[in-house]
Amino acid sequence: MKVRYGKRLLAVVLAGTLTASLAACNKKVESGAEKADTAVAFDQIKLGEHTDLKANLKFLTHKTDIVDTTFQEYISEFQKMYPNISIEYEGITNYANDITTRLTTGDWGDICMIPVTVDKNELKNYFITFGNLDELSKEYTMLFNYSYDNKVYGLPSMGNTQGIVYNKRIFEEAGVKETPKTPDEFLDALSKIKDNTDAIPLYTNFAAGWTMTAWDAYIDACATGQADFAHEGRVKGKNPFADRGDQTGPYAVYNLLYEAVSRGLTEEDPTTTDWEGSKARLNRGEIACMALGSWSIAQMKDAAEHGEDVAYMPFPITVNGKQYTVVSPDYNYGINCNSSADNQLAAMLYVKWLIDKSGFEVSQGGVPIKVNAQLPDFLKAFDGVGLLYDLPTPAGEETLGNDVNNESELGVNVSGALAKAVVEAAINGQPEMKELAAEWDEKWTAAQEKYGITH
Amino acid sequence: MNTKRAPFNFFKWIQSGKVNRRLCMVTFILAPLLLLLVFTYIPFVKMFQFSFYDMKYIGERKFVGLKNYSEVFTRKDCFQALKLSGYYIAASFLQLGIALWFASVLSFRVKGGSLYKGFLFFPYLVCGIAVGFIFKFFYTRGFVLDTVLQWIGFDPQSLPYWLKDKKINNISITATSVWRYMGQNMVLFIGAIMSVDSTLYEAAAIDGATGWNKFRYVIFPCIKTIIVLNMILSITGSLSVFEPPYVITGGEFGTGTYFVIMNKLAHESQKVGLASAMAIVLFLLIMLATLLQKAGEWYFLGVGDQEPIRTIRRQKKRERQYNGQQKAKQEEKEGGV
Repeated sequence: MKVRYGKRLLAVVLAGTLTASLAACNKKVESGAEKADTAVAFDQIKLGEHTDLKANLKFLTHKTDIVDTTFQEYISEFQKMYPNISIEYEGITNYANDITTRLTTGDWGDICMIPVTVDKNELKNYFITFGNLDELSKEYTMLFNYSYDNKVYGLPSMGNTQGIVYNKRIFEEAGVKETPKTPDEFLDALSKIKDNTDAIPLYTNFAAGWTMTAWDAYIDACATGQADFAHEGRVKGKNPFADRGDQTGPYAVYNLLYEAVSRGLTEEDPTTTDWEGSKARLNRGEIACMALGSWSIAQMKDAAEHGEDVAYMPFPITVNGKQYTVVSPDYNYGINCNSSADNQLAAMLYVKWLIDKSGFEVSQGGVPIKVNAQLPDFLKAFDGVGLLYDLPTPAGEETLGNDVNNESELGVNVSGALAKAVVEAAINGQPEMKELAAEWDEKWTAAQEKYGITH
Repeated sequence: MNTKRAPFNFFKWIQSGKVNRRLCMVTFILAPLLLLLVFTYIPFVKMFQFSFYDMKYIGERKFVGLKNYSEVFTRKDCFQALKLSGYYIAASFLQLGIALWFASVLSFRVKGGSLYKGFLFFPYLVCGIAVGFIFKFFYTRGFVLDTVLQWIGFDPQSLPYWLKDKKINNISITATSVWRYMGQNMVLFIGAIMSVDSTLYEAAAIDGATGWNKFRYVIFPCIKTIIVLNMILSITGSLSVFEPPYVITGGEFGTGTYFVIMNKLAHESQKVGLASAMAIVLFLLIMLATLLQKAGEWYFLGVGDQEPIRTIRRQKKRERQYNGQQKAKQEEKEGGV
């Protein structure tokens, strides 16, 4: 008799746990399906209103370096206006990977930086809209990356330009008088640095991995002078990686890296590079240059005592006599559509404050996203350089770029796999750059065909 | 006969000895079972389900049947990566050898024995990611390893790039896993050796056994189960190496193991279905490897007190031969008569 009770009890307990876990699953699905629409649009919100709003916000960020410093100052500054809104920052080191998993739970916090893994047609299931694209683009730029159906789901925390961060003093000491404008001039400059100074001409930061994605950022508008090349030329075009023969286009960018490595103009052992240490080494002149976006300038200047030597130059490719650089958004702020209405409003206010009042963009060396904002100082060196902004993707093709990129496994702008393959090939002496490009084109074309792009 | 049953009293019932004991058992077992269920079995079932879909982390899922599996077998990089496991399997034998040697030395009275044990076990306590970073600097040109080799007279110019040179970088990385796991194997071995009945050593000593004889005929047969267990753990571990190549080289320069490639596919190319299928295939491979080893143990070493199948067969063969000979002799005799 008692044995049976025991068994029954066990059965009840197990069944209870199972239902509990199933119920938990169901709840998640329901909350994901609710698409919260915002009450107020971002352009109509005014700072100084709703000052009695109470909310506890959680902010997920990739900027682990300033979570305990700058962001804390922002919070106390913001709380002068909104004393009842408290904000908790959580810095995530492996942000790009972790955030995707956390987003799927629905219960991750209130504000995050939207990862590239969210396709445009999925944005509405995770984030609230900031307003209509038509309205918002009167005040802000670079909104296209996270807009869908004329609605804006993400606001850029700042804009980046692409170029090369370098040590002015070393370039001068090596006898390079003008900043190089073509791949050949650049390689010459690197050779001079190698011959005339003790500095490492070009430091790849290969081991950190993510740093190699910087090379992908040059291959579109910077290397072609066409603002729409990323979509029209690379995603939809035929064999985008093939050699164009005139030192422009994606091939010229990767070939520059290939030549630099194979001529010994980079560090001896790319597998043991040290990202944190490299900042101070560039600052002190032990490294002459690195390929990184403009966000890196502030970090290089602050890393050691010779901040004044750190400078920025456009990527050395000239198209029809002119150099180009692209202004593109950094990570975008996104607000959780599963948060409570109060939290959404509070989050909206904080994002507004961050963009309009905090000075975050300038302190991080970025380009402000407000229309007609003053461009940062380093861009003064970009005299005569064409400044290209990103363009909207044609309707119906919003996810095409991600789809082809994922299917081909080339990881353009995601993993830096192409630049890593270039370094590895250049060190081994094979395959040649042409063979690498042909292999990429083959994969790319196969992926394009899967998504219905034929030539 | 019909005694009236006392009304059911829940508290009494729950306090009664047998129920109480069972309740204790259930509550104690519930916590680990729940953890196991939530963090192992449910995710595993989910992964199995994902392996039949063409899916990303975020976005729609499309059922594709066995397409992911056929892709795992037709892709070049998946099984190519399994070849690297050869390095790790070879290293795991070396690791077990060293561990066994240290264990058999340290199981007996050695001056400062506990200290040595502590030092040798310590690396196992360091988190795998930290080990990765330690060795990244250890192998950097002109850093620890190069300096030490220079002290003992190597020419720094003739030393290879430990992580760049494709001939040796996999060996460099496997060495880190030997460094990390050797101590753990050793502790398991020491535990097993300690449990050997000490009268056996005395008997062996009286019979004049040397150190090697003691090891071969007393220790080895007594701890063979633990040795086999360690071997199975090491080889399954070798098939699914992830941390060292992921942290030290990021899988570049030909060091990308099966898991590193799986991780890349899942996170960089968002091919979650394909990566799940890879995981299931590896799981089956590991099961197969374990079964093979179990069969090997059963055939060559014997399980528990049972004699190895090989010995039993030999004995039977010998018996048969003997019987046959006897019979032949008998027949000869009879024929002679």
